[in-house]
Amino acid sequence: MVQRNDDVTRRRFLRDGLWGACLAGIGGVAGYAAHKSQRTDWVWQIDPYKCIACGNCATYCVLEESAVKCTHVHAICGYCKICFGFFDPEPYQINEGAENQMCPTGAIRRKYVEDPYYEYTIDEPLCNGCGKCVKGCNAFGNGSLFLQVRHDLCVNCNQCAIAAACPSQAFRRAPADHPYLLKSVDHA
Amino acid sequence: MTRSSHTLILFAVLLATGAAAFGLERFPPPQFETDYVRPTTTVPNPPQGFWEYIDAGVLIVTLFLATYLILRKRSRRWIFALMLFSLVYFGFFRKGCVCSVGAVQNVTLTAFDSTYAVPIAVLMFFALPLVFTLFFGRVFCGAVCPLGAIQDAVLIHPVRVPRWLESGLRLIAYLYLGAGVLFAAMGAMFIICRYDPFVGFFRFGGNWNILVLGGCLLLIGVFVGRPYCRFLCPYGVILRQLSRLSRWRVTITPTDCIQCRLCEDACPFGAIRKPTEPWPAKEYRVAKARLAFFLVLLPVLIGAGGWAGYELRGWLAQIHPQVRLAQRIYLEENAQVEGTTDASDAFRATGRPSPELYSEATLLRDRFGIGGVLFGAFVGLVIGGKLLSLSVKRRRTDYEADRASCLACGRCYEYCPKEHERWKNRKERLGRS
Amino acid sequence: MTGAPPQIPANEPALGYRTARTTAKVAGVFSVVFLVLLVANFIGTSVIGPRRENHLAAMKAALREGEATDEKLSEIRQLDLRIRRNRIWRLDFAHKTGHALLASIVVFFVAGKLARVLNKRLPRPEHAPDVGVEQIREARGARWTVTAGLVILGGIVALLVINEAPLAFVVASGTEPSPVAAVEPNETGPSYASMEEKRVQWHRFRGPGGGGVSLFTNIPTEWDGKTGKGIAWKSPVPLAGNNSPVVWNDRIFLSGATETKQEVYCYDAVSGRLLWTGDVPISPAVAAAELNPMEDTGRSASTMATDGRRVYAIFVTGDIAAFDFGGRRLWYKSLGVPDSAYGYASSLETYEDRVIVQYDQGDGSEDKSRLYALDGASGRIVWEAKREVPNSWTSPIVVEVEGKSQLITLTDPWLLANNPADGAEIWRAECAGGDVAPSPIYAGGLVLAIEPYSHLIAIKPTGQGNVTETHVAWTMDEGGPDICSPVGNDQYVYLLEGQGLLICCSVADGKKVFDHDLRTDFVASPSIVGDKIYLLDAEGVMHIGQVGPEYKELAKCELGEKCHASPAFVDGRIYIRSLENLWCIGGPTAVGKAD
Repeated sequence: MVQRNDDVTRRRFLRDGLWGACLAGIGGVAGYAAHKSQRTDWVWQIDPYKCIACGNCATYCVLEESAVKCTHVHAICGYCKICFGFFDPEPYQINEGAENQMCPTGAIRRKYVEDPYYEYTIDEPLCNGCGKCVKGCNAFGNGSLFLQVRHDLCVNCNQCAIAAACPSQAFRRAPADHPYLLKSVDHA
Repeated sequence: MTRSSHTLILFAVLLATGAAAFGLERFPPPQFETDYVRPTTTVPNPPQGFWEYIDAGVLIVTLFLATYLILRKRSRRWIFALMLFSLVYFGFFRKGCVCSVGAVQNVTLTAFDSTYAVPIAVLMFFALPLVFTLFFGRVFCGAVCPLGAIQDAVLIHPVRVPRWLESGLRLIAYLYLGAGVLFAAMGAMFIICRYDPFVGFFRFGGNWNILVLGGCLLLIGVFVGRPYCRFLCPYGVILRQLSRLSRWRVTITPTDCIQCRLCEDACPFGAIRKPTEPWPAKEYRVAKARLAFFLVLLPVLIGAGGWAGYELRGWLAQIHPQVRLAQRIYLEENAQVEGTTDASDAFRATGRPSPELYSEATLLRDRFGIGGVLFGAFVGLVIGGKLLSLSVKRRRTDYEADRASCLACGRCYEYCPKEHERWKNRKERLGRS
Repeated sequence: MTGAPPQIPANEPALGYRTARTTAKVAGVFSVVFLVLLVANFIGTSVIGPRRENHLAAMKAALREGEATDEKLSEIRQLDLRIRRNRIWRLDFAHKTGHALLASIVVFFVAGKLARVLNKRLPRPEHAPDVGVEQIREARGARWTVTAGLVILGGIVALLVINEAPLAFVVASGTEPSPVAAVEPNETGPSYASMEEKRVQWHRFRGPGGGGVSLFTNIPTEWDGKTGKGIAWKSPVPLAGNNSPVVWNDRIFLSGATETKQEVYCYDAVSGRLLWTGDVPISPAVAAAELNPMEDTGRSASTMATDGRRVYAIFVTGDIAAFDFGGRRLWYKSLGVPDSAYGYASSLETYEDRVIVQYDQGDGSEDKSRLYALDGASGRIVWEAKREVPNSWTSPIVVEVEGKSQLITLTDPWLLANNPADGAEIWRAECAGGDVAPSPIYAGGLVLAIEPYSHLIAIKPTGQGNVTETHVAWTMDEGGPDICSPVGNDQYVYLLEGQGLLICCSVADGKKVFDHDLRTDFVASPSIVGDKIYLLDAEGVMHIGQVGPEYKELAKCELGEKCHASPAFVDGRIYIRSLENLWCIGGPTAVGKAD
């Protein structure tokens, strides 16, 4: 009987020790991580200098309508009369007719400003993030059109499905207080 | 030969410069003569900022509430209501991210990636359920986890999974945990999130493969209680082990067991253990020998696992995009494959020399070697430990919920006559006062 | 779900059970219907959508090719509108059906669970078998499953270990030399060839330094294109171009273009086989620009250049591209359609891993001329230097002066030297005018520049800033060729005029040594190989003369085809591009092992 009691005590002692160790372990991991974290929140974003506009953004997003959209920084834009992001590579005519447009959803608007300049704006609700215009603008223009994750739409998955499918590893976590990686004039 | 001036009239218009050209633009941005103003680029901010902290707050509240409802109030009805709330809030309303299951990877990545640090809210999602489990058992699984909740909600006609099958299937969860941690540590991918079967439902969309997988799991879940939790959930594996040590836990009976056997089939998750009976004498001798054998086998399994993990480093490394890219580039440069891929084109566009990529990928492969040893040793330890624990004779005098397996759903309470007695007493007390 | 145990007879379900069950069934049917709708919608999106888009693309293509009518246009526009409308409709449909599906599933489960609860029976545990035996059996069964799992895992491991993981690159990065590394220079070392490596190749227009001087002395002096004597091989070149062949080890590169195609060719030096053809897209802006280069310039006048790892080509359209030696296009871009009176013709030069582009255009008043250094691997512009000069047709050269590299370009009116590392200007001299086409050379420590029809001027390249007043060594006023670049060594410099007048001057003081009329037309620039001067006339006859104080003809070799490009002289061979063919002259030996 005495031996039995010893056994129980020893077992309880062991269990308590293990319990304490586990708690300390969790505390240690949490403390280490908290020490490192400095309240950083992360969001997914596309590095426009790495992006090759492959078109995956339009199809791989978990949302029915991709959270990636084309962004336009007008300060870089050349206001080209013949915009390689707007027009089909071999346009039939230089006008806004559907047969001349590159964008499959008609999300780029072209507006006359003054001779010979035209303004191009993105109609965001229509944009599906396919990046066709981005490709054209990068290859032959100033590259003022580029893709960005729009954070009013993005649900910020822990593992972004597009990031996993991105061939150029252009997706990266950006701090939430600087959620966009915009091209800038001095950097272009 | 005479010098001609503009011949390319139409296109020269495009090239005409109006102002000092910036940097490397092909078409310098014009300076307008009219009073045209360039539109500014709108960039909506992410809304998460304060939501994450609300989420963490809701997590704490639901955990305390779950503890109270499961251990004190012992009411399945209330537990179910809280579970539905968690499903609606963490699942459908907050779209299933952040979740504790995936947070394992964020914490791992923090330890291995110097540029990454886990946000405080995510850290809380990782640590709080663990702490609560150490104190109160798996109350998180019972009423807080949205993944558990969606499966629990669809469970209509539970069938019994034989114990031998359950023990085998559970190994998958350990493998999944090991792989999830390994790949997160290597910065390859968060596979636990990538293959989260239910998050697609929470968001009304997603990859069709994952949606079909989730649909199948839910369909199975109509008959087999919480299949993901029991056989796949990597976080559940940690919770299982911590739950073995918990200070307080779910007990079927509020007082003492009267061995009425009414609760025998109450648990849809096969977590109720019957009282044990003494073994036949000869069984003891065999059991001792077996135990000794498995004790010797344990280090062998760990060693073998480590070796296998090391040998498989090349295969494990395949999940890392950098390694796959290096392989692709190598094959292309040596004309062993036709054509190029988007990834190889993108790599060439960066202008980095391929040997640099090769050595980077080789370094990754070597790191996968170290990770593989640990991963393999872990799998060996799990299998060896499992065999050992299946060979130990346990002593139980009452019907009890298995400490590790009990998901704290509270279904068994109402099966216990003692519980009914408690209700009646309380009602009378309330009636008197 | 009820708190109290159901107080009903075990075999008779509670009130409402049937209703709940029926509701569940109806909701189940609805769920299936919605699910089918969703799947159908998905199939519609992924099958019919692309089909319609292809149809639209085909219609657009047809529009460009054939006659366009208003009907066709409106047909295209209507289809485009239909596609877009359909997409939005499908998105909306998926959204609504998804919610309906969720609602019906919720109803199904609520009703199902309710039915289950209402139909709940009291537990009636049967007489249990021997618990002890059962537990032993259970544990044994579990041990076997775990063991089975172990065996399965072991099997998978064994299978994977036997089949090696696809990690071929590990060899390439390790210490073991890759068998391919010897052939493919881009496997090892820095990402460009050193100056020393380039010296024994012919990596750009007129060879290393662009001076038309070959270090090899084993160059053939006898051949005949009609009989095939001394000819190693001859291969047709698909598209025409006036650019000259460049050579790196066993590969020869040249380019050709028409109005609709721009191509780069790589030939095998041993067999003359066309190894690969690279295609460079024509930038869309070209169509609008109505580019119309002079016929003598052609659409591919600029000679390619290589840095030993990649080769670069630029066309009259301003489209530039890089290829690796395997023929993969690494990048291409448009530098904007050049405004050049006769058509853009400057050849490329490489410096380290950069490609240098002299991009002079316009009449000098619009600030359009640039000197670019592009990153060879990516095409990114590393630096650019603006220059207020009009269009020119000379080619840049990179030479080493007092241990430092200078990038020298000849324009109207400036001879400019820039630092090839960052584009900073080192010196400039006002020395030429008009439409400059002959490229500058560096010989005898002097930079020599020609103003067509006027003079040859020698500048000491050691100054800073504007050196017009201070660093002119001499000027030779007895004429200047309009196309052919000069060639020179430490003693003599030769000028070759288009109608065949060869003028030789002393490098030291610019005094004329002799002149000699070859009485035939020349387009290709002269070259010096050891003590011989090679002069290829437009009819394809190579005049080989002795370098010395007077003209002594050593040999005359006929190819039998018209030639406009300057030949390449590398290790026992001469590569000549005629109008239709690429010729290799010399024995079949000695290829690949330069020096």
